[in-house]
Amino acid sequence: MIEILQLILDSPFLQRAIIASVLIAIIAAASGTFMVFRGLSFMASGVAHAALGGTALGIFLQDTGLVPWFDPILGALLFSVLVAVFTGYAGESGITQKMEVAVGVSFALSMSLAVFLMYYIPPYRVPQIWGYLIGDILLLNNVDVIMLASTAALLGFITLMFNKEFVYVSVDMEGAVAHGMNARAYHYLMLIVSALAIALATKAVGAILVYAVMVAPAAAANELVKSIRGIIFAVFVIALLSEIIGLAASFVVLVSPSAVAGILAALSYLLALQIRRVRERVHVDLEEVPSMAEDTPMASLVVTPDHDHTHDH
Amino acid sequence: MATVPLLEAQDLAVRYPHGDIALHNVNFQIKSPSFMAIIGPNGSGKSTLVKTFLGLIKPFRGSIRVSGYDSVKKKGKIRKLVRYVPQRDNIELNVPMKVKDIVLMGRLLKKLPPRFASSNDIRMAKEALEQVDMLELWNRPFPELSGGQRQRVLVARALASDGSILVLDEPLAGTDVESQDLIVKALGRYHKENDVSIIMVTHDLNPIHTLVQDVLLLKNTVIGIGEPCSIMDIGLMKKVYGPTARIVEHSGHRYCMTRDSGIDRHD
Repeated sequence: MIEILQLILDSPFLQRAIIASVLIAIIAAASGTFMVFRGLSFMASGVAHAALGGTALGIFLQDTGLVPWFDPILGALLFSVLVAVFTGYAGESGITQKMEVAVGVSFALSMSLAVFLMYYIPPYRVPQIWGYLIGDILLLNNVDVIMLASTAALLGFITLMFNKEFVYVSVDMEGAVAHGMNARAYHYLMLIVSALAIALATKAVGAILVYAVMVAPAAAANELVKSIRGIIFAVFVIALLSEIIGLAASFVVLVSPSAVAGILAALSYLLALQIRRVRERVHVDLEEVPSMAEDTPMASLVVTPDHDHTHDH
Repeated sequence: MATVPLLEAQDLAVRYPHGDIALHNVNFQIKSPSFMAIIGPNGSGKSTLVKTFLGLIKPFRGSIRVSGYDSVKKKGKIRKLVRYVPQRDNIELNVPMKVKDIVLMGRLLKKLPPRFASSNDIRMAKEALEQVDMLELWNRPFPELSGGQRQRVLVARALASDGSILVLDEPLAGTDVESQDLIVKALGRYHKENDVSIIMVTHDLNPIHTLVQDVLLLKNTVIGIGEPCSIMDIGLMKKVYGPTARIVEHSGHRYCMTRDSGIDRHD
């Protein structure tokens, strides 16, 4: 135990990785949960890949000397916000399918742009783009962690303040608007802040695995937990455990911590589905007997007035 | 003081999002307060009319006013007055909201963030649930309820809230007789005991015809308007529901028969 603590204290990159794990779990809890509620889990993936396209653009602009101050991370943030706005615009009426299509299109567009720009980027910088695709939590620098922390704090604050609004937008957008809530503003707020957080988390988790770490815990919790607060907490725990176990595994054997975290998080969803199925089976077994007995008189009661009705004409 | 009409449409025309005309040449006036039903077959523009006067859809021509407020320019004012229950199927079931969360939603939506529920809010919500006989399900997840139960909870959401106009879109669709009775009774009682107007979209006048004061019969335009009995006119019914609609007089009662609503008795 003391050895492990010693190891953590001695290696700043490990400290950063642990802090980032906590921050990513916060982001998953705050943003992943509401995206799953909204039926928009795919957006996590779309935003992450858009961030990759933005990074490519940033590197291109920097390297060609067109806009030398343009840090690739700015490109990633810009693109992720664009995806959020585009998705939000497609879904202003509250129709989820339209948002899914918008996410898919922007996903494809930003990946195409990334591939397109790769031709013009010097080969030694291409791995930086691949870094976004795979992600490495052990390679974060201090600036990365600070940016991730401030976005996670912002996201956390906004979710604490406006979680009811986000739920209302997800559950009954029309009703919320008709009661005078500015649903459009909350709709965009939720998408944009989530997108920023996901774009920053992508650097640590990787675009491919962000879906697993951000969304799978929320999907798993949504299968099993029956309250919104409970789900948010469960997501935090699942995401954090997956990340930490991933980190620990990477010290024991030679594996990518994000990969292990992604596998664990995805498995949590499969497990949740299975638990739910078993639970439902038990439920049915228990309820079948009394409801069978009640069914017969109930059914005849309902049918009788209907019969009279048809006789009348 | 001359009362402002509850609803007042002038030469109103509205398009569906895909461009087809949903409503045209709509002109009518309903005095306030009223218990009003908007009836017509599927696709006749009932829900569209509601969404238009709530300011959710912009008219393509003409205007509609709610309590004197224009649906486009003064929609903020309208939304302070209105408590709205959309069609049940528009409520997303992916979120594990409890019954209490749904009922409190009506009250909390009229507040400012962070929208904490006061003890008064909770009392009102419980009273409303009691009206529709759902209080014992206070802590149950809303998505696990049956269709009729969910509808009752949504009606309770409207009853618990504030605002002088209740707007309910198809609150009786897909409910069993028991839920229908409970909803109709609760609405009737609420209308009698409070100074509120109720606007209800339905394709079946049957369960509520004794309570309703005004009926607006729609088929993309106003076909008829008046008391329930005057709407039960064979000419009007055929126009809306097609040639199979019939009105039958039997032992002193008038029955309206359409394939949509079954039989409707009118004394």
